[in-house]
Amino acid sequence: MNPRRVRLLIWKEFTQLRRDPLLLRLLFLMPILQLVMFGYVIGADVKNLKTAVVDLDRSATSRAIAQSFESSGYFRVVARPADERAVRELLDHGDAAVAIVIPEGTALRLERGERTPIGIVVDGADSRISSTASGYSAEILSEFNRRRIAAQGLTLDGPGIDARVRVAYNPSLRQINTMIPSLIAFVLLISTMSIMSQSVVRERERGTLEQMFVTPISRADYLVGKVTPYMITSSIQMTTVAIVGRFWFRVPFNGQAVVVLTGLLLFMFTAVGLGLLISLVSRTRTQAQQTVMFIMIPSMVLSGFIFPIESMPPAIVPLTYLIPLRYAVVVMRSSFVKGSGFEDLFWPLLAMAAFSVLIFGIAVTRFSKRLAD
Amino acid sequence: MPSAPVTTAAISVRGLTKRFGSFTAVDGIDFDVARGEIFGFLGPNGAGKTTAIRMLTGTLAASGGTALVLGDDVGVEPEKVKRRIGYMSQKFALFEDMTVDENLRFYAGVYDLDPERFAAQRAYVLEMADLVGRENELTRNLSVGWKQRLALGAATIHEPELLFLDEPTSGVDPVARRHFWDLLYELAGRGVTLFVTTHYMDEASHCNRLAFIYRGRLIAEGSPQVIRTKYMGERIVEIETDAPGKALTLLEADPEVHEAYLSGATLHAVVSQDASAEELAGRLRTAGINDARAYCIDPSIEDVFVHLVGKQREGDAS
Repeated sequence: MNPRRVRLLIWKEFTQLRRDPLLLRLLFLMPILQLVMFGYVIGADVKNLKTAVVDLDRSATSRAIAQSFESSGYFRVVARPADERAVRELLDHGDAAVAIVIPEGTALRLERGERTPIGIVVDGADSRISSTASGYSAEILSEFNRRRIAAQGLTLDGPGIDARVRVAYNPSLRQINTMIPSLIAFVLLISTMSIMSQSVVRERERGTLEQMFVTPISRADYLVGKVTPYMITSSIQMTTVAIVGRFWFRVPFNGQAVVVLTGLLLFMFTAVGLGLLISLVSRTRTQAQQTVMFIMIPSMVLSGFIFPIESMPPAIVPLTYLIPLRYAVVVMRSSFVKGSGFEDLFWPLLAMAAFSVLIFGIAVTRFSKRLAD
Repeated sequence: MPSAPVTTAAISVRGLTKRFGSFTAVDGIDFDVARGEIFGFLGPNGAGKTTAIRMLTGTLAASGGTALVLGDDVGVEPEKVKRRIGYMSQKFALFEDMTVDENLRFYAGVYDLDPERFAAQRAYVLEMADLVGRENELTRNLSVGWKQRLALGAATIHEPELLFLDEPTSGVDPVARRHFWDLLYELAGRGVTLFVTTHYMDEASHCNRLAFIYRGRLIAEGSPQVIRTKYMGERIVEIETDAPGKALTLLEADPEVHEAYLSGATLHAVVSQDASAEELAGRLRTAGINDARAYCIDPSIEDVFVHLVGKQREGDAS
């Protein structure tokens, strides 16, 4: 390997990148777009659920219950129908996602020290909304109950509202706190894979690849000169995501930087290797982009990045072990949220090391062989 | 038994073979290219021209045989050879999104040219390619002729002793082609050996020596003069008529005509040395081609080429 030639190739790559305004814009817009998408849309907590309150009791207590729902911030009362029959219609039209039905005699029963049911009707069409809504409701009702009992100087075993569902919902553990760390790994994967493969395929399409190998540029020169610029650009992208996540979305970082950087470096080799492999199987840049999509979908779905692996059918779970992003997600999340160190993350890091050696190794070998044929 | 390779030659190839699986792209070819020669490597598409060039330039490993390029075995020391050769392909592999100057700078850097030599070579290339004042223009904005000359300049920025040109003029207009060949003669005049593949037969006559490759094998070799005489035991009759289609059908059916084909606006018929052109024209006129005129001509390179390929096809078929 000749350092002067590698420098020359890196200069060439950046010169070409500078001349490609579309790619350049994509490089910077993609992480921002993904941050907005994942940060605000998918990672956002369910809030301001449109709620209908059917207060059949019309007492001070029933109003207090309704008030506690509204003041939680998760529910926004949009309708107060006089009877239960109207609820169905509100849910059907999508005018409300949740309905709270406080039956007649609630205040009376509570005063008598009896148990009383409160009806929570949720729109099951969106499972995410319905499960969060029932979780929040249970939480709000038990909180209301606790305060009521405390105000009366009674013990917790006292009678009260029947809130049997208890969801361990921790309001400080926001979705976004786990979303952004995994997004850093996801951006690294997608953007490195696509830019790497695009730039190699373009070079082959135009014949410049062929031309370069008639010169003293060696395969090692070419590979290092090709990979380095895109490792730099993807590092910039990741840093952008990390900074915006940390300071705009206020994602706490409880881990050690060295653990995160080790994980990302290992993952970067996997991503570069995948990019090279894609460039080998694709004849045109369109094919390369389609292959990126082909890898992107299972990575998104099976890595635990968006859908928790625990909730996947048991038959699918073994497949997730084949997805390199899965381990990166574990390392990033555990490190950010729980502050896990090398010992806790030994296995996922080992898996990532194995993947990077395997994928990068195969890619480089195949790439050199392809050039020789 | 082939002779030993010639170490003083620019290229000396013995038994060079390339197999891709069960397909043999280049099948044990032997030839020598003397220093300072313009060597034309001719053959139809898929005959093995590009595969042979890729082996000679050290980008593709041979399956068998040896190739000495500038005295070094390219299979053993490709890196040593690559420093001393230049290569230009039909695609003008310039970086389209880089300027004229950046392209030259890149290739100069690849060959480790020192600043003084780069300055001199850059000035020479810009002058030669008629690009003075357009140094900062993006290569993609240049028209084909300029691109081609810039590509030649980039491929020769390190003053190689041997230059490979793989169909350098395909897709270029005739004026630019002529201009380009002038540049090639200039290079040859400075002692650079040129190895050119082409399928333009008129360009073949610009070469000092030619080799025909067909289905991976060399089927003819020699100077254009030798090619025209040695490989052609027959006579070519050129026929002019306004009804070439009908005449061609008649010629193909004529017992004295071995081969007949269109050549430009005329028809060529391959006949025995003792056959008469006038009798052939007479037979055509009798058959209704009233304006048929026929005369004997010296075979062109193209005639020999068509003849040889036809003979090979017959040989392969039987």
